[in-house]
Amino acid sequence: MKPPSEDHELIRWLDGEMTDSEIAAFEARLKDDPLLSKEADELRALSSAIREHLPAEMQVPHSDFFNSQIQVRIAQMDLDKSRRKESGNQSLAVTLLTWLRHPWSATAGAVALAILGFVLMRPETQSSGHSLILSSYTPGLGVEASTYHHIEADATVLILDGLEDVPADHKISGLSVHSSDNQSQFATTTLFDATGSPLLVVSRDAFGHPLFLTNTTRG
Amino acid sequence: MPSSAATDPGEVSDIDLVKHSQAGDTRAFDTLVTKYRGRIYAMTYHLIQNETEAWDLAQEAFIKAWRALPNFKQDAAFYTWLYRIAHNVTYDWLRKKKIQADGEFDDERTEHRVAAGAEATPKSDAAPDTAMRNAELGQRIQEAIARLSPEHRQVIVLREVEGLAYEEISALIPCSLGTVMSRLFYARKKLQEQLKDVYETTL
Repeated sequence: MKPPSEDHELIRWLDGEMTDSEIAAFEARLKDDPLLSKEADELRALSSAIREHLPAEMQVPHSDFFNSQIQVRIAQMDLDKSRRKESGNQSLAVTLLTWLRHPWSATAGAVALAILGFVLMRPETQSSGHSLILSSYTPGLGVEASTYHHIEADATVLILDGLEDVPADHKISGLSVHSSDNQSQFATTTLFDATGSPLLVVSRDAFGHPLFLTNTTRG
Repeated sequence: MPSSAATDPGEVSDIDLVKHSQAGDTRAFDTLVTKYRGRIYAMTYHLIQNETEAWDLAQEAFIKAWRALPNFKQDAAFYTWLYRIAHNVTYDWLRKKKIQADGEFDDERTEHRVAAGAEATPKSDAAPDTAMRNAELGQRIQEAIARLSPEHRQVIVLREVEGLAYEEISALIPCSLGTVMSRLFYARKKLQEQLKDVYETTL
């Protein structure tokens, strides 16, 4: 067996991949080497025969059907796409509807509005660093909101009385909530922001009333 | 790399057809299918050596092309782009099938070698005995190519049928230039061995 480079030279010559100088040098070798010359002739004849018998273009059997099948598949793809889109919209609507029908939606809504009211009614500047709640409002008729400042925790506690129970494993998320931690043994859920600082602790007091502990020293 | 077919005067250019297709015009795409189906089918057929599978794979290539059309930036000729898709579709199929043509010869794969109505051999005005010998030689060559491994068959088709340069083959497969040359050399040697009897009398 010849070294691969020699084989490569032969096929590079055959396939027209050589430079002019390389061609001249190789053809000089062919003149001096009858065996190489014979092999070159055979391979050239083989290439020619392959090219002749393997056409670059062939008639496609049942060509009209070939085209029409492609059109059918394209139409089917478009249909599937529109169905998926429709299904996605329905799915979103169903999800929202399910979420709104969930008993927790009323609770979450009440909490959100109470917190919003609490934030909006907070005085602009507070030298003491804690919030002063002037008034509170809850949209739910059966829910009452009250607040007080917890000195030890340096936080304003918002109490919403009359809400339905929050399951310990219920995942809560919010605009600035990055993660949450449920501690079922203490029946508390702590919401954290992106920096890992607690935003809100949801729990119950000794009487079973919901407790919301917020860190009001944050901006 | 294979380029698009010459455009007749008055014929809509590939660029326009592609633009219309990208806008969702399936009739424009149908024109592109009609224009290139013969070349794409020939390529898949030579690589697969089975009429039905080649037909399906050629169709799959056009479907994939339709799906990918929004991403086609026209920085290459449409046919070059389409050819690459068809090649990848076909070679993926070969890989899945794990056809090892170096081993036993699979009669089933060459059973339907010549498509009904297909111009697998060039039309010839030669005398009947010459035409017959020519047809027999064509059949022997196709059988010999069918016995090659997918890798060897691939480089033979890309080089001899499509006329791709080594660099284009190495980019398409992809592999090194040295691998392209080695595969071409050994593929040809295998064809030579298989066609030795024909060789000595006909070639």
